[in-house]
Amino acid sequence: MKRIIIEYDKCDGCKNCSAACMQAHRKTKGTIYDLDLTDPENESRNFILKDEKGQYRPLFCRHCDDPECVKSCMSGALYKDPESGHVLYQENRCGSCFMCVMNCPFGVPKPDTVTKSKIIKCDFCADAGGEPSCVKACPKKAIRVEEV
Amino acid sequence: MKYVIIGAGVAGVEAAKAIRKQDPAGEILMVSVDTHVHSRCMLHKYIAGERTEKGLDFTENDFFSKYKVQWRNGVRVEKIQPDQKQILLDTKEAVSYDKLLIAAGADSFIPPVGELRKASNVYGLRNLSDAQAIVKEAKQAQNILVIGSGLVGLDAAYGLLERGKRLTVVEMADRILPVQLDAHAANAYQEAFEKAGVRFVLERKASQALCESDKKIRQVVLDNGEAIACDLIIVAAGVRPSLAFLDSSGIVCDRGITVDASMKTSVDDIYAAGDITGLSGIWPNAADQGRIAGKNMCGQKVDYTDTYAMKNTINFFGLVTLCVGRIREEEGDEIRIREDRSQYKRVILRDGKVQGILLQGNIANAGHWQYLIKNQIDISKINKDIFSISYADFYQTGAKGKYEWNIN
Amino acid sequence: MNQCYGCNTCKSADKPLEGYIASLPMETSHHRVESQSTKCAFGLQGVCCRLCANGPCRITPESPRGICGANADTIVTRNLLRAVASGSGCYIHVVENTARNVKNVAKTGGEIKGINTLNRLASLFGIEEEDLHKRAEAVADAVLRDLYLPEYEKMELTEKLSYAPRYKKWKELGILPGGAKSEVFHGVVKCSTNLNSDPVNMLLDCLKLGISTGIHGLVLTNLLNDIVLGEPKIRFAPVGLRVIDPDYINIMITGHQHSMFTFLQDRLIDEDIKEKAKKAGAKGFKLVGCTCVGQDLQLRGAHYTEIFDGHAGNNYTSEAILATGGIDAVISEFNCTLPGIEPICDKLKIKQICIDNVAKKANAQLKEFDFENRPAVTDEIIDEIIAAYQERRGSVSLNLMPDHGNDNTLTGVSEISLKKFLGGSWQPLIDLITSGDIKGVAGVVGCSNLTAGGHDVLTVDLVKELIARDIIVLTAGCSSGGIENCGLMTPEAAKYAGPKLRAICEKLGIPPVLNFGPCLAIGRLEIVATELAEALKVDLPELPLVLSAAQWLEEQALADGCYGLALGLPLHLGLPPFVTGSKVAIQVLTEDMKSLTGGQVIINGNARESADILEQIILEKRQGLQI
Repeated sequence: MKRIIIEYDKCDGCKNCSAACMQAHRKTKGTIYDLDLTDPENESRNFILKDEKGQYRPLFCRHCDDPECVKSCMSGALYKDPESGHVLYQENRCGSCFMCVMNCPFGVPKPDTVTKSKIIKCDFCADAGGEPSCVKACPKKAIRVEEV
Repeated sequence: MKYVIIGAGVAGVEAAKAIRKQDPAGEILMVSVDTHVHSRCMLHKYIAGERTEKGLDFTENDFFSKYKVQWRNGVRVEKIQPDQKQILLDTKEAVSYDKLLIAAGADSFIPPVGELRKASNVYGLRNLSDAQAIVKEAKQAQNILVIGSGLVGLDAAYGLLERGKRLTVVEMADRILPVQLDAHAANAYQEAFEKAGVRFVLERKASQALCESDKKIRQVVLDNGEAIACDLIIVAAGVRPSLAFLDSSGIVCDRGITVDASMKTSVDDIYAAGDITGLSGIWPNAADQGRIAGKNMCGQKVDYTDTYAMKNTINFFGLVTLCVGRIREEEGDEIRIREDRSQYKRVILRDGKVQGILLQGNIANAGHWQYLIKNQIDISKINKDIFSISYADFYQTGAKGKYEWNIN
Repeated sequence: MNQCYGCNTCKSADKPLEGYIASLPMETSHHRVESQSTKCAFGLQGVCCRLCANGPCRITPESPRGICGANADTIVTRNLLRAVASGSGCYIHVVENTARNVKNVAKTGGEIKGINTLNRLASLFGIEEEDLHKRAEAVADAVLRDLYLPEYEKMELTEKLSYAPRYKKWKELGILPGGAKSEVFHGVVKCSTNLNSDPVNMLLDCLKLGISTGIHGLVLTNLLNDIVLGEPKIRFAPVGLRVIDPDYINIMITGHQHSMFTFLQDRLIDEDIKEKAKKAGAKGFKLVGCTCVGQDLQLRGAHYTEIFDGHAGNNYTSEAILATGGIDAVISEFNCTLPGIEPICDKLKIKQICIDNVAKKANAQLKEFDFENRPAVTDEIIDEIIAAYQERRGSVSLNLMPDHGNDNTLTGVSEISLKKFLGGSWQPLIDLITSGDIKGVAGVVGCSNLTAGGHDVLTVDLVKELIARDIIVLTAGCSSGGIENCGLMTPEAAKYAGPKLRAICEKLGIPPVLNFGPCLAIGRLEIVATELAEALKVDLPELPLVLSAAQWLEEQALADGCYGLALGLPLHLGLPPFVTGSKVAIQVLTEDMKSLTGGQVIINGNARESADILEQIILEKRQGLQI
């Protein structure tokens, strides 16, 4: 399967990955110029965290080999796709229980900010041909896709 | 090799998947009372009319054919006969097994108060059949009484709210969701339910409940003498493992079926998983137990180690809560609280280790708490506001880009 | 493998140039587009604020305000005002130097080449001075006096140089500028930390800076230069890399201040200097035009045929010009002198000399233009260049492109020369517009950038789309450099025009795209527009006239654009000026501006779509005029 490999020491915290993620998952059509950066519906699936020393720690879904989120999903909404190996999410099946949020030890999935009825999680830009937008947007090449 | 699984809940389903992975050719038979595979955590969505029976199914499409699992549904197991390596069904059939998994779950506990156990309008909320009966009964009912304000009681109330019923919830404790929440967080839900029209009666229990001639209870009297009119009663006072059919089997039971680390019972070739073991009542653990039992049934030695079960998430009215670990304060605890307009956070610390976390309103990126609590990680050296601690403070990537925990 | 530095160069409208740059053994800006293609979305939308130590703050759904509380609207408009103020400052610097030069020429009894323009300005300013030189000095002084007024005193020449209905509108809106330099000061104060937070108030300041930039920075710079450098005359001239003649000592000039070169220009063709060149092994000296100052020389080329062969290319062609090896020195005095030419100059031993310290390049020698000491300084510069010539020729190989460009680009177009060409009146043009033979007029101005499709790509594509719709195109700025090198300013380009425009072009032997020269000449375009409006007795926003800075690049372009908006003209931009993060800014610029000044911003990066929109606006305006 393909995974986003992170060279976190290269991260500059520019959040371009987040903006690219928001752009890739926005509901309306448009360009990065008219992406509404203030609309909570356009939230990012990746996060640039910081450790206590202020170093950037990019948080991107690992699409784990043995995903805790899938194992805790009581609706069957989350599943590990046998073909791609990616952890995918069927919003219409989701029961909004958020056990996946609690069980991902890295804190990747989160409830959507507006309705708290679904989770926000990396889909490897499946709709954009499976080429993650964040990777393309990283000016430091701190993230890349690799077959693992 | 013939594997028989009693129960079609998550433990049984996960066991079947694990068995199929280990043994592509073996015969797998699943026997259940349930006629639909369903997620018990979503029964309130059925009650509310948001989902059909099919919408509660948590398995992947074509689960039974994909994993080559035979399914006998709508049948009850009456007896287990380890000597003959067979089980007896209520159809009087005998079904043989080489390896047996008991994942029959638990039953709602109806307390012996008045004639609750006798009445025809009293239901637990455990199975789809309960939910179906409640929906049917609720069509005529106007006043519904829910006894118990745990997650199941509130699920029932939440589902029935959608149907516009007058609801009263009686709770023994001084707050709702007493196991999961502190008073402050509980109050937030109480207010939300009250705003939606639910009436709560706290620190009270039912003391009298008599059937009328049609076997229905139309009034429950509380221990303070208050009488509550009702035409449907839902009892959410906990569950008990469904052990009745095991009486003559020789399988050792305590609160539930006793199992070892491999999920094996006291009898060879018989395993147990899920609520029937009484180990924990939560979904991920039942799933895990099922997977581990399944592997062991196929001869793969795996132990059930991640037994941590003090964890819950709650979501009513879009108000989300995450609670892991101990919620009740003990002497010597250090409590840190942070609260604002949109969130409430409370952590219990002891000797630099987190004992419990409660997050309400915003639970984004909070998965690290469970890890910190269950592994009792010392966080006293992290020079950061405790609520700002995240996986970033333990961040490390390893082989194949996996995240690891850098703890020192 | 070959010697190419990198094959990942950006596209160019000029395909031979694209191939040439891709084959170069040195890095150019065209090579760096790819590696800079990841743009920060916050920067693109203008919602990154670095105005205080709390920053940078960026706007996201989780953080809709900066730490100070500034929202996207405040951050965006503050950033825009800052850019417009800087851009205005650039043009005001240029006009200040230009006026000082006129004054110095006048005081020292130098040659007055444009008596008509001098008289035109003197009469506008109410100067009645018999003596030619005193008249010129008084004109220059009037301009300088305005520039140095405080912000709270309105400039006097604004009214004299603007169209009355416009002046009235500006007065109504309260955007008449005070002293042009003080307005820049006012603008940068306004957008500093925790001062103004009112987006509309700041956008109005942008318009005010647009007016001072347009009237003083653009219009007056042209006219002052006409006085001492000579008025443009329509003629055909060569353009492109072909203009480089390796038999000469070649000096590439970059910048915007033609007046700083005049003494050098004349000196280079003095016999003693030519003799020096010959001794060094060359036939003499040539200036090779690059960027806007090159366009200005070309525009007035009729006066400088010996020293100036033609314009080689615009801002992002400068590296290619140097890479030919045929250039021996670069003399720069302003932008657009790219920092990226430095390593190329080093590698090819090209001497870099700066004559205005605002544009001091890192490895250039600073020889500041000094009117009093110009003979000595000029001779020093010439000696340096001859030394460089001797040092490098023979050791640096040539990589010329003698077929690039063309020999018959129409140049020398100005508000005066064009009117003269039309027989001394705008009526023939008005008749053609009224009859619909010319549907409308589009001013395609500004720079080239490398990101709106590539070098000159959107500009050239848009021009082709417009002329195909019978819309005549007038150009000024680096856009001209790209369009002319692609051949659209030769009479043969008439074939790209729509049938009606084509017929006119073929009849008159002119191209469908008329080049007014440097970006400063946007001021000339706007004089044309004003005179057309006057002739029709309408206000500017009613004209079937649109502006496009399709490939705007720099802050100056934004200040120019604000002038266009203040004039009430529709302004097309290929890329948004870092404002889309603010709903208020977008609303004001693209919609509310219509009721404020009559102008509007149109942002579109697609040539066909943009042309459709602009054509539609032209058609609506025609309908408004009932033609």
